[in-house]
Amino acid sequence: MIRTAIKGLAANRVRMTLTGLSIVLGVAFVSGSFVFTDTINARFESLFTDVYAGVDATVRPDEATSAPGEAYLNANLLTEVRQVEGVEVAVGSVGGFAQMIDSKGKPIGGQGPPTLGFSWVDEPALNSFTISEDNGRAPTAAGEVAIDVATAESQDLAVGDEIDIQTIGGIDTFIIVGLASFGSEDNLAGATLSAFVLEQAQVLFDLEGKLSAIDVLAVDGVETDALVAEISTVLPGTAEVVTGEQQTQEQLDQVTEGLGFLGTALLAFAGIAVFVGAFVIQNTFRITVAQRVRELALLRAIGATGSQVTVLVLIEAAILAVVASAVGVLAGIGVAELIKMAMNAAGLGIPDGPLTIEARTIIVSMAVGISVTLFAALLPARRASSIPPVAAMSATGARTTPKSLRTRAIVGSTLTAAGTVAMTFGLLLENGASLPLVAAGAVGLFMGMSTLAPLAAGPVARLLSAPMRGITGKLAKENTIRQPRRTASTASALMIGVALVAFTSIFAASIKASVTDTLEGSFPADLAFASTNFSVGVSPVAVEELAAQEEFSVVSAVSAGSFEIEDVELKVVGVDPSTVSRVYDLGPSIELSELGDDLLVQEDVLVSNGWSIGDMITVDYPGSVSDSVEIVGTFTDATFANYVIAEEVFFENIGDDQIVIAFARLDEGVTLEDGRAAADAALSEFANVDVNTKSDQIAQAEAQVDQLVALFTGLLSLALVIALLGIANTLALSIVERTREIGLLRAVGMTRHQVRQMVRWEALIIAVFGALLGILIGSAIGFGVVTSLADDGLGSFALPAGQLVIWLVVAAVAGLIASLGPARKAARLDVLKAISYE
Amino acid sequence: MTLAPERVRVEVAARMKGGVKVYGSGGTEVRALDGVDIGFEQGHFTAIMGPSGSGKSTLLHTLAGLDSLDGGSVYIGDVELGSLNDRKLTMLRRERLGFIFQAFNLIPTLSAEENITLPLSIAGVKPDAEWFGTVVDMLALEDRLHHRPTELSGGEQQRVAAARALVSRPEIIFADEPSGNLDSKSGTELLEFMRTAVRELGQTIVMVTHDPLAASYADRVVFLADGKVVDQMDDPTPASVIDRTKILGG
Repeated sequence: MIRTAIKGLAANRVRMTLTGLSIVLGVAFVSGSFVFTDTINARFESLFTDVYAGVDATVRPDEATSAPGEAYLNANLLTEVRQVEGVEVAVGSVGGFAQMIDSKGKPIGGQGPPTLGFSWVDEPALNSFTISEDNGRAPTAAGEVAIDVATAESQDLAVGDEIDIQTIGGIDTFIIVGLASFGSEDNLAGATLSAFVLEQAQVLFDLEGKLSAIDVLAVDGVETDALVAEISTVLPGTAEVVTGEQQTQEQLDQVTEGLGFLGTALLAFAGIAVFVGAFVIQNTFRITVAQRVRELALLRAIGATGSQVTVLVLIEAAILAVVASAVGVLAGIGVAELIKMAMNAAGLGIPDGPLTIEARTIIVSMAVGISVTLFAALLPARRASSIPPVAAMSATGARTTPKSLRTRAIVGSTLTAAGTVAMTFGLLLENGASLPLVAAGAVGLFMGMSTLAPLAAGPVARLLSAPMRGITGKLAKENTIRQPRRTASTASALMIGVALVAFTSIFAASIKASVTDTLEGSFPADLAFASTNFSVGVSPVAVEELAAQEEFSVVSAVSAGSFEIEDVELKVVGVDPSTVSRVYDLGPSIELSELGDDLLVQEDVLVSNGWSIGDMITVDYPGSVSDSVEIVGTFTDATFANYVIAEEVFFENIGDDQIVIAFARLDEGVTLEDGRAAADAALSEFANVDVNTKSDQIAQAEAQVDQLVALFTGLLSLALVIALLGIANTLALSIVERTREIGLLRAVGMTRHQVRQMVRWEALIIAVFGALLGILIGSAIGFGVVTSLADDGLGSFALPAGQLVIWLVVAAVAGLIASLGPARKAARLDVLKAISYE
Repeated sequence: MTLAPERVRVEVAARMKGGVKVYGSGGTEVRALDGVDIGFEQGHFTAIMGPSGSGKSTLLHTLAGLDSLDGGSVYIGDVELGSLNDRKLTMLRRERLGFIFQAFNLIPTLSAEENITLPLSIAGVKPDAEWFGTVVDMLALEDRLHHRPTELSGGEQQRVAAARALVSRPEIIFADEPSGNLDSKSGTELLEFMRTAVRELGQTIVMVTHDPLAASYADRVVFLADGKVVDQMDDPTPASVIDRTKILGG
C-alpha cells in the first residue's frame, strides 16, 4: 500500500510540490512564531540573569500601599538596610523619565521602547550596566552623563560630545563621559538610556532625598530567603523587598510581554495561512482522485476494498504532510531569523545569540501540518472509496454522481448561519469580545460560504465572462462552469484572504471616519498638545507655560488614568470643569462647572450598570484610597473614557503626571501661525510635546491606523499567496485533465497565444469570483463588527469602495500571475501526444 | 505525362518529397518514414493503409503540420511546411486544413453547433450561413445542433467532427481512423458522407485506416510498409484491398 502511495506521489511531482508548498508556508509561520517567541524569552532571560546576577535582594516601593505619586523610598532607609545582618553592600538608585534630544531639537526614540534615565551605581556587582575601557568612564559629577552605545551609534555621538536631555523639570545640557552597555548588548530592547550621578538624578527626577530602589549584595554564605526576611523587618509599610531572582523575572516579563505579543499575533496569522492551505490541499486531492478514477477502480477490480482505497489516498496525504511539515519547520527557523532581523532593523534590539528551537515547536508544528493535511484529504479520500470497480473498464471513467444541490444548500446555509451567530455572540459578549468564539464563528462562516459557493459559481462565471470576447472567453467560461465545485473551492481559498483584507480595510476606514467625526464634531479647540513619548505624558509645568501665553484665550488639559469600582479597573479622565467645555465637547448632561468632587458617567455605561443619577458609588483610587462619590450627571463622548472627574480630584488621588493631551483656543484676532509660534516658544523646554492643529490630529490618527493596516495586510498577504498557489495548482491539474481537448483545439487551429489567453481568462474568472465573495463576506463582517462596537467610540461605518476595488484588481492581477505557469504549460503542450490514441 | 508547374499547384493539394522521420537513435532507431514521395490530388479521396508501425499515422501527422520531418519536405498547395514557425503552421491548419480524429474530436463544453464552427470561432470569422446549412443538411445534424457531445451517439459525434472539418472549406481534410470507434452502420454512414463530400463538393480527403472496407470508399489506396510507399491502387473494392493486403503481408 505504502509503495503504491509513494509511486502515486512520485508520478505527480509538480502538483505535489505546489500542494506541499501550501503546507510548508503555513507550518513555517507556525514554527517561526514559536521559535521567535522562545528566542526572545531565552535571549532576554540569559541577558537579564547575567546582568542582575549580582543582586541578591531589591528593596522597592510597594505600589499597592504607596500613595499616588509617592511610590519611592525614603533615602534614610538605605542606612537602615545597610545595618541589617547579612547585608554586605546596599546601594540606592533612582530612575525616571529622561528624553535625549538630537541636534535638531527632535526627541530621540521613545516611540515604543521607553526613554529611561537612572542613577549610575558604582558597585559593579549591583550595576546592570558596564562601560568598557575604550568607551569612556562612569559619570562622577553633575553635568555628566553616560548613554547607551546603541543611541550613541545611531546619533553619531561620542565621548566628549554635548547632549540635551529633557526630564520632568525641563531641558539641560550634559557632557557625555561614557558609553554604557547592558551586559553584552548595546542597549535594552530599543530603550534609550541615560545615567547620571545619584545626586543629580534625584534632582532631575524630582526625587530629592528619595530613592527608587535599594539593591543589596548578601554576605557570603547568607541565603537570599533569609536575607529578604531580615530586611523586611526594617521596612515601612510602603516598601517591600524581593529576591534578585524575582526582580529579574519581573523585569524580564515586562520586556518579553511586549515583544511576545508579536509572536502571538504571528501565530494568529499562521493559523489563517494553515486554514487557507487546507482548502488548497482538499482541492488538490479532490481533483487527483477524480483524475485517477480508472487507476483506483482497477485496484477495486483486483480486490481492494473501498476502505483500502481511502487508506491509500490518506497514506499519500500523510507522506506529503510529513515531508512538507518537516520542510515547514525548517523554513520556520528562517522565518524567525527574518523577523528578528526586521525587529533589529526597526530598532527593537533583540540580544544576539542562537535561535531557540524547543521540542514543543517541532512537535506542535508537525502536528498542525499533518493533522490539517489529513483532515483536508479525508473527504476526497472517502469519495475515492465510492468509485465502483466497473469504472476501470469504461473508456472515460465513471464519474461519481455529485451530491444533490439541495443537501449542499442546506449544509452550507446551516454552517454560514451557525458561524454568523457564533461570531455575533463572540463580539457582543458582556465582558468584551471572546476571541475563540469569533474565530470559530469565522471558520464556520468561511466553510459555509465555500459550501454554498458552487451554487453561485455558474451564474457568477457567466456574468464575469460576459465582456470576454471570442472563443477563448467562451471556453474559459465553460471550463469554470463545468466543475463548479472545483471552481468554488479554488476561489474559496482566495475568498478567505480577501475577506480578511477587506475587513481590515473597512475596519480601518471606519476607525478613521469615527476619529475624524469625533475630532471635527467635539473639538472646538484650535491647537492640541500631546506627548510624542508613549511612556510619559505632558508635564503640568508645560501646561502652565502654555496657559501663560497671551495668544491663548483658554488652555485645558485632560489627564487619563484608572480607578476601581467594585474591584474592576476602569479608565477615568480628569478635566478642568471650568474650561474643558470651551475646548472639547464631552456632551455632558449638566454644566461641568457643577461637577465638584463628584462623578460623571457615560450615558450608556450608566444604563448598562443599572445606575441612575444621584446614586452614591464607592471608587477605589490607586494606593488604597477609597471615596464615596455621587453620580451627578452623564456625558456622551466615550473617546477618552467612560468616567469623568475633576482635574483637582484626579491630581490628588491618581497623580498630576498623567496629562495625555492639552487643548488651547486662540484669542480673538490671533492667527494659527502666531498661536503655533507662541506654543513652540512656551514648549521649548518640553521637546516631547507636539503641537498639533486639528488637521494634524486627524492626519496623525490616520497615519497610526494606516501603519497597523499595512502590517496586517502584509501578514495576510501570506494567505493570499497560498490561495494563489491553489489557483495555479487547480489550473495545472485541469490542464492535465484537458490535455486532449487542448490538443484538439491546437490541431484545428488555436494558436499558443489563444491557449494561453483561455487559461488566463479562466484564472481571471476564478480569482475575481473568489475576491467578490471575499469582499462580500469581509464587508458583512466589517459591518457587524463596526456596528457592535458603536458603543466603544466606533460611531461611523465606512465602506472604502475605492480600496475594495483596488483589492479586486489586485486579486485579478494575482490570479493572472498564478495562471502564467499553467498557461505556458498548456500552450507548450505537444499536440501529437494530446491527440494520439493510447 | 508532364504537367506544367502551375498546373501542379492547382491540382495537387498536398505532397511529400523524400519524407524521412526517425524516432529514437542508435540500436533503438525506428525509421517511421523512410523516403516517402507522395502527392494528393485535389478533389480526390485517398486512403493510406498499412500494418501497425508502417508509418501511416506519422505520414498523416507530418502532412498535416502536426509533426515535423527529419528529412525531405511537405507542401500544402505551394507552401513548404518546414519553413513555417508554430504560429504560421497553426494558421495554416486553421485556414486550409480540416481534421477528423478517431476519438476525442469534440470539446465537451461546447454544443454541436459550436463544435462545428470552432475553427471559424478560433479564427474570429463568421460562418457562411448558407454553407453551414449545406454541410449540416448533408450530415443530417439539424436536430442535434444544440446538444452537447455527451448527449450525442458515437456516429453523431463523428458526423459533427466531419461537419467541423468541412465548414471552413479547407483545401484538404485529414482523417485518422474516423470510423475506428464506430459500429458498422454508423461507420458506413460516415464514410458515405465523406465520399459524398468529395464527389459532390469537390473536397480533398486523406484518410488513414487499417480497415479494408473503409479504404474501399476511397478513390485510391496507398499502401505503406516500414516507412515506405510500397503500392497504390485506384478504384478499390473491399475484396481487392484485402487481396493486396495479403500479398503485402500486412
